[in-house]
Amino acid sequence: MFDLLPHLLNGLVLGLLLALIALGFMLIVGLMEQINLAHGSLFALGAYLALALTGPKPPLPADLAALWLQVPIGWRYGIALIVAPCLAGIVGIAVEFCMRRTYGKDPLYGLLLTFGVALVLEEILRLTWGTRDHVLPIPQSMSGGFIFADLIWSTYRFYAAGMAAIAIGLVWLLIEKTPYGAMIKAGAHDSEMVRALGVNLSKLRLGVFVLGTMLAAFAGIVVAPIWGIRPHMGVDAVVPAFLIIVLGGIGSFWGAVIASLLVGLAVGVSGAYASEWSLLSMYLLLVAVISFRARGLFGKKSVLEV
Amino acid sequence: MTGTSSDARLITPTMLGTWLVLATVPLWISAVGLYPYIGVEIVIWSIYALAFNLLLGTSGLPSFGHGAFFGVGAYAFGLTQFNIAANIWVSLAGALLAGAFAGLLVGLFIAHRRGIYFALMTIAFGQIFWTISVKWHSVTGGEDGLLNIARLPVNLGVVSFDITDNDALYYFVLAVFAVVVVLLWRLVNSPYGRILSAIRQSEVRTAHLGYNVWLYKLSVIVLSAAFSGFAGGLFAMAQRSAFPDVMNLAQSGLIVMMTLVGGGLVSFWGPVIGVIVFLIARDVIGAATNAWMLYFGTMFVLLVLFRPEGIAGTAKLIAERWRSRSATPAVLSSETRSG
Amino acid sequence: MALIEADGIHVRFGDRVVLEEINLSVNEGELHGIMGPNGAGKTTFFNTLTGSVKPSRGRIRLDGSDIAGLDPHAIARKGVARSFQIMTLFNDFTAQENVMVALPAFRARGFDVHRAVAGDTALADEANAVLASVGLGAKAAISAKLLSYGERRALEIAVALAQRPRVLCLDEPTSGLGTDGTLRLADLIGALKGKLTIVAVEHDMRFLFSLADRISVIHWGQVVARGTPRELQENPWVKRSNLGSFG
Repeated sequence: MFDLLPHLLNGLVLGLLLALIALGFMLIVGLMEQINLAHGSLFALGAYLALALTGPKPPLPADLAALWLQVPIGWRYGIALIVAPCLAGIVGIAVEFCMRRTYGKDPLYGLLLTFGVALVLEEILRLTWGTRDHVLPIPQSMSGGFIFADLIWSTYRFYAAGMAAIAIGLVWLLIEKTPYGAMIKAGAHDSEMVRALGVNLSKLRLGVFVLGTMLAAFAGIVVAPIWGIRPHMGVDAVVPAFLIIVLGGIGSFWGAVIASLLVGLAVGVSGAYASEWSLLSMYLLLVAVISFRARGLFGKKSVLEV
Repeated sequence: MTGTSSDARLITPTMLGTWLVLATVPLWISAVGLYPYIGVEIVIWSIYALAFNLLLGTSGLPSFGHGAFFGVGAYAFGLTQFNIAANIWVSLAGALLAGAFAGLLVGLFIAHRRGIYFALMTIAFGQIFWTISVKWHSVTGGEDGLLNIARLPVNLGVVSFDITDNDALYYFVLAVFAVVVVLLWRLVNSPYGRILSAIRQSEVRTAHLGYNVWLYKLSVIVLSAAFSGFAGGLFAMAQRSAFPDVMNLAQSGLIVMMTLVGGGLVSFWGPVIGVIVFLIARDVIGAATNAWMLYFGTMFVLLVLFRPEGIAGTAKLIAERWRSRSATPAVLSSETRSG
Repeated sequence: MALIEADGIHVRFGDRVVLEEINLSVNEGELHGIMGPNGAGKTTFFNTLTGSVKPSRGRIRLDGSDIAGLDPHAIARKGVARSFQIMTLFNDFTAQENVMVALPAFRARGFDVHRAVAGDTALADEANAVLASVGLGAKAAISAKLLSYGERRALEIAVALAQRPRVLCLDEPTSGLGTDGTLRLADLIGALKGKLTIVAVEHDMRFLFSLADRISVIHWGQVVARGTPRELQENPWVKRSNLGSFG
């Protein structure tokens, strides 16, 4: 049993990271009832932007760049964690302007549109930063490892899980404790009611899309030191994200969080027995759950079913 | 796709024209600066796209994991050749059956679904097949792929052709393409095809007319997967190898894009047009810039936004406008469902 | 003799009881109207009858055999056809094709993949005859999405008729039609009366009272009144709720 502990813990950490990745995806599906397949590319974009901001060659004039590199890495990392999602948010605005034409239409339009957007974004990343793997520098204090229960643990993983937990908490507060949350929830089921409340629905949608984009980018930065940075990393993120949303049930916050933890644990624990095949476990989990509960664990009836 | 006289024919003028034009390809392809192998690719991918469109365009079932069936067929072609019999017909049958079997397996889980859930579940199954192909080294060769697949001689009983040469291979796949086109054309214009189209337009109504919608959907998933697997088998033979990447999400997305760009939602030939445009653009633009995906992706986004009916659909619309200019102004509707 | 009979139908969605206890018996050749306020359970009952909603309790007998809980396609095959309030036509098909796929002869060939539909004159003739019977004889080649609203309503009924049903279920057939359209539809359905067993959910009282042999009023998931149109006009419950007033 004790042998399983590291796998359980790793699974839990992975679960939190997956929840972080899925958050923005969930908000957008919930309000717009459109699947954002570009989510993964925005996730990758966040990581690359952070790389540009912290990395050895910032996109600045030489003097400024030298000055910037004088700033301690801890500060640079911290600033990147805030600035990169904001920059990605601008891209999010552009995507939302395209996406607008799909609202209320067959969700397939959104899926196809964002698939195209994902291709474009991924290609831009590839052209700008090349196809090779990059490493996102992190502050000394967060890197390295420690020994616990006779095992070596990576320090950063726990920082990352902590940041994921904080982001999850903040999104929960936004949804449950603010008037915006009420509108977002109402908008998902009843856009007429939102209009009746005097809310500007198109602004609300834009806001939520940008927030979703920023969350994706933030997740990209948090996860980058663990997974590495490469153009293809978006697909590694968007597939679990959609899987978690379907598994948890569309429109359910806790469904998504619990599904993330389940997927994390499934991958972590199956990694103990068959590390080669551990990725398969999340798909099998999805197929198993969806076969018995068509709308996922906590799903309500959704427009997406038709 | 409303009933016209050509729907009833086994072989239509369009088919003959297409075959004739395609048959001349090896004569001029090098002269226009294209690599001759592209012809083989176009024909094989056209079979794949037509098979795929049986789901998307005909039945309105958006599969985003179709690469799985294509890939299963590719591996099956190689494995049949290595382990059962080095005979082209046996190997192709192996690809077809493996595709059908994979389709049945997946179909049992998804045939009661539609729309976005269908799409999402096909992504999940596509990833499952892809993961297996990457990880199951002993069978698939993992990332290294299944190598040394032979272009087996085409044995017709009395005579036997060698197709190791690209031109010979091209004429072989073209002949196969011709047969597949005839079969699929007949299928979409048969009562069965009409019911699939009815299911696309309204599943609820079709069920209330007494049709077992689930069984129709399952059967068309199996058919589409079988033809996709068959195309995959041809592809493995042409490439002399099978790799996992034909099964990944991006590749599965490409077949959706090609089909849509060509106009698979409104036209039988749409997928073929899409494949031709895509592969030629890949070679031409790809030769000039390595950012070709950027241009194709942008074009696709614009297409989804403004012309979801694709090239064939737009051509139809222009033709209708042209015709109605002289006649009384007919009511035109550019509304096309997405699938 | 009752052709279709609902016996103690109980439907619940989650913990909400939508139909409490519905009993209904429709005789062969009768036109039976169903009315009631919005949200009373009319539509749910209608959907239970035709298979898209499964009752939690109760039986539905068609000519003596239980059909409750069967899938819509199985119920349709036993001879129960339905029309839709929100028109559900095959928009990319012509009027003729819409009717054609509904024909039992077409259904029998559902898995036929080797004969083309176009050029099959027997099917086309049969479909055209059905279209002519609802006044759409001249519209056969027109795409369903290009027909006028009234024509689409008529086509909705033609599709149901093409199934050669024993029981025809009409869900709000006059919905969205103006006075003229409603009158034309009344003529059409009047002509079917006696030849077919018809169950019609309808909110247009004038329409229902002029056509129906008997009417059941559903409220709170139960049948609260039943009788001939004349009896219902005298029914205290109907009077009280103003349902019987001729708009």
